[in-house]
Amino acid sequence: MKRVMGTSVSRKDGFAKVTGQATYTAEHPLPGLVHGYLVTSAIAKGRIKSISTQKAEQAPGVLAVVTHKNRPKVFTPANDFRNSKLNEARLPLSDDQIHYGGQIVAFVVAHTLEQARDAAHLITVEYDIQTPLLEAQQAIYEALPDVKFNKGNGATGTTEAAITVEATYTTAKELHAAMEPHAIIAHWQADSLTIYEGSQWVMLHQRTYAELFGIPSEKVRLVTPYIGGAFGSKCFPWSYSILCAAVAREIKRPLKLSVTRRQLTTNTGHRAATEQTLRLAAMQDGKLIAISHAVKTYTSPADRFIVDCTATTPVMYAAPNIRLQQKLGVLNVATPTYMRAPSENPGMWALESAMDELAWKLNIDPIDLRLDNETRAHQRSGLPFSAKHFAECLRVGAEKFGWRDRPKQPRSLIHNGQLLGWGMAAATFPAMRGNTTVKVRLLPDGTVHVLTAGNDMGTGAYTMVAITAAEALGVPVEKVKVELGDSLFPDGGLAGGSQMTASLAPAVLKACEEVLQKANCTTANDACAALKQSGRAAFEAIATSAPGEDAQKWAFQSWGAHFCEVAVDEAIGRIRVTRWVSVMDIGRVMNAKAAASQVRGSVIMGIGEALMEECQLDPNSGYPVVYDLATYHYPTHADTPRIDVTFVGQPDLTFNPLGVRGVGEVGITGVAAAVANAIYHATGKRFRNLPITPDKLMA
Amino acid sequence: MKNFAYVRATSAEDAVRKLQTNANSQFIAGGTNLVDRLKVFLNTPVQLIDVSRLDLKFIESMPDWGVRIGALATNTAVADHPQIRQDYPLLSRAILSGASQQIRNVATIGGNLLQRTRCPYYYDTAFACNKRQPGSGCPAIQGINRMHAIFGASDRCIAVHPSDMCVALAALDAIVEVESSRGKRQIPFDDFHRLPENTPDRDTTLQAGELITAVILPPVSFAKTGVYLKLRDRTSYAFALVSVAAALEVRANRIHDVRLALGGVAHKPWRSAQAEAFLKGKLANPEIFQQAAEIALQGAKPLTHNGFKVEMAKRSIQRALTISAQGGGVA
Ligand SMILES: Cc1cc2nc3c(=O)[nH]c(=O)nc-3n(C[C@H](O)[C@H](O)[C@H](O)COP(=O)(O)OP(=O)(O)OC[C@H]3O[C@@H](n4cnc5c(N)ncnc54)[C@H](O)[C@@H]3O)c2cc1C
Repeated sequence: MKRVMGTSVSRKDGFAKVTGQATYTAEHPLPGLVHGYLVTSAIAKGRIKSISTQKAEQAPGVLAVVTHKNRPKVFTPANDFRNSKLNEARLPLSDDQIHYGGQIVAFVVAHTLEQARDAAHLITVEYDIQTPLLEAQQAIYEALPDVKFNKGNGATGTTEAAITVEATYTTAKELHAAMEPHAIIAHWQADSLTIYEGSQWVMLHQRTYAELFGIPSEKVRLVTPYIGGAFGSKCFPWSYSILCAAVAREIKRPLKLSVTRRQLTTNTGHRAATEQTLRLAAMQDGKLIAISHAVKTYTSPADRFIVDCTATTPVMYAAPNIRLQQKLGVLNVATPTYMRAPSENPGMWALESAMDELAWKLNIDPIDLRLDNETRAHQRSGLPFSAKHFAECLRVGAEKFGWRDRPKQPRSLIHNGQLLGWGMAAATFPAMRGNTTVKVRLLPDGTVHVLTAGNDMGTGAYTMVAITAAEALGVPVEKVKVELGDSLFPDGGLAGGSQMTASLAPAVLKACEEVLQKANCTTANDACAALKQSGRAAFEAIATSAPGEDAQKWAFQSWGAHFCEVAVDEAIGRIRVTRWVSVMDIGRVMNAKAAASQVRGSVIMGIGEALMEECQLDPNSGYPVVYDLATYHYPTHADTPRIDVTFVGQPDLTFNPLGVRGVGEVGITGVAAAVANAIYHATGKRFRNLPITPDKLMA
Repeated sequence: MKNFAYVRATSAEDAVRKLQTNANSQFIAGGTNLVDRLKVFLNTPVQLIDVSRLDLKFIESMPDWGVRIGALATNTAVADHPQIRQDYPLLSRAILSGASQQIRNVATIGGNLLQRTRCPYYYDTAFACNKRQPGSGCPAIQGINRMHAIFGASDRCIAVHPSDMCVALAALDAIVEVESSRGKRQIPFDDFHRLPENTPDRDTTLQAGELITAVILPPVSFAKTGVYLKLRDRTSYAFALVSVAAALEVRANRIHDVRLALGGVAHKPWRSAQAEAFLKGKLANPEIFQQAAEIALQGAKPLTHNGFKVEMAKRSIQRALTISAQGGGVA
């Protein structure tokens, strides 16, 4: 039997997706389905003085108009991550208060989408307007004691001999902009609820709805076979989801709500803007003696969301003195949420930019500066890394890119009248895993059936599960049928924090082994023969995998390095990223094709963050001035260079039996810094505020 | 979207007649702009008259008198047309720099002329907007106005016209042919779009009941030197921050004739007559181009967030003129 693990396998769901046969949330056909539409606030702070719904109620086809005055009853969930979790702690329509622009103020239900939308526009709201707090500089900040960390004498450990860099770096408010807009269909049958909704965490979603409606979990079924991208924005029910499910119960009909592109900008989370001050002190030979990282981010008044930008700082570089601190402010801005490497990506933007600045100041190659300051242990927990091939990432990347031959001086590479620049940055992301359970059935014809509630948000989980089962049982991938994303299946854990593969694959492996044990055979072939002989329908096993004690002994972390070239037409502020090399150490690579795609997608998203992505708010109303995928700029193909991805390292067997760590997020960390570092090399100008748009470039 | 009646026009006369049957009627061609607007309640017509099947898709050369393009020719058909590519590369490149291939495949020339601004305040009924609802106010003036006008704005409206194609048409001195129950008339391109003044709800001088039937491109002997330079926040599928359409006729290093128009800077494509006058007869060199750029940007009135457009436009003009002086090409 040929090995499949680690080879390039095309996605099992690819054909269904490109031929339109994959059923996404809003596409589930249900008889008698009716449609909802949201009405959102045009002001960012104040209270609703009056809301006039009469015209809407009388509009054709309208079944219900819901405001804070007649909101349906739901219970307040524990909201503790274990039993339940909401994206926004404030329940929808809970009072007449407005906390941010675009907040839901009413919900209209009608027979058709057009009727609901039409009626929604007949609702008029009168507000008592208060001046919203929109500017980060105006916020009142509270220090977060949990994030605070001091090693040595903190950042004051600077001696006379030290070279220091100190600078403030900012990131912009970014949107997930997933291809599939958020949607939900809620269908009550007596006291049972079926929810069709994109969910990165199926069982927690299920339990959360159960708590909201005071019914047992078994009464809630969550169906989410396909997700058209989530990036962290589809982890828990949002306020619109709660409303839709609650109203569906009252009107006793299956109810669908598709959030419009416009409304997505304020009702489904975003990456909060950050402001980070980094201070690095090093000896002339490049040895770091102090790192200080101070962060300011914000949350909305409706929830408390923290972007922990300092998370990776003690992971990357060793220093005798480290000080981390973070402050949180409250702004009248929609509730932020997780977005691809939520803490690590903005944190690494600041750290990897500052490292580049330090390298220039010391006149040391930035690769050497990183190698000289590598840490073998996590400096917060003190635990050694289970595996670290960071140096190899740097070495292989530098070789592939031709890094060492570069002309050292800024503005020294000129091609076709444009300034070329080369930049590099490191990447890192923690490896996590959770509890998962998987059911595997082997049928007499050699078909393998794998079931788990864990799902595929477009990352390649269907294929990864099939590869694991094919490898374990020695059958072709085509023989493995995978079903995901249904709470009727065993708990498949969370598709987030890059942990789906690390959590699921070991359970698949174990269940397959148990199937063979049950069959008392060493190969699937023999087991099938045994089935045929006995007339038995299938061998079946359910297996669970969970993190063990190892997490107390080791720190698990993935690593990487990015190298890029930019071409800057300085006079007119035009930039192209022309070359990209990424080298990643992610433990075992399950599917070379899918893993490389994850890194490419990450790099593209990072280029967007570096050069164009920003959701600006109107300074008066607090409402976003981007309204669709044409006005929220993310990279097009024309903005994207060929991206060369290589994996190094070995299976991280202390982490799990397959040695697989996950690859969804590590690739985006460091990308923005690599771009800005390359721009510095090209132009001699240091950009510390993202995105680096044409107007800034030509200034 | 409100319910509306949908009817198909069988001829230009029929379209014009149908338009009169209901005051709240609108033509629909490719629908790439209008349908988006309908969905978000910017327009609530009672009747849509589909003109997309009209026999106005021609692209025909008129002996000694340039090219006549039917209003329903698609953006793609025009951009890809051999004669347009050869004789008016400026127009072809300007069209190709806009929207996406899919949109250009259905978008028409007439629709492109009448596409409305992408000002975010216009685009959402949650905001006041004088263009959408006269007298309601202009929040863009005190708001985010990075994309907005530096020329010709009024205290009622600071929006810009978003079309790339129209910047090229302005530079090429195109003529818009229209037809109504009152007959046919021709509108010089510079008179077609208008400045907002006190009535920003009106983008053009088109009168009620008029159908655009064609656009005429007069012959421009030096159109081959045409350059379209578009600067934007990403490399494709974004509206211009600033764009420049330029064409130079250089004889013995002296500028014999010139066309210069800017996009992304005003409520209409912004033809720089003064800069053109200055350039005529001068030597084609960087100093002259720089002076022309200064002249072209005289009187610019930047807003809170779009000050960069002034310098960006100056440098783009210099770049476009330089490339045009070398015979044209991709900018
Ligand atoms: C996402 C997106 C990005 C875009 N990016 C760009 C860009 O970068 N640059 C750019 O230049 N353009 C861009 N466009 C705009 C695009 O060029 C226009 O939408 C298109 O040209 C409109 O043509 P249409 O035939 O679809 O017009 P329609 O939407 O059918 O009509 C537009 C308007 O013109 C009227 N109309 C149409 N035909 C006639 C006629 N013959 N006589 C009288 N009235 C008529 C209609 O009543 C309507 O008001 C973009 C569009 C989209 C959706």
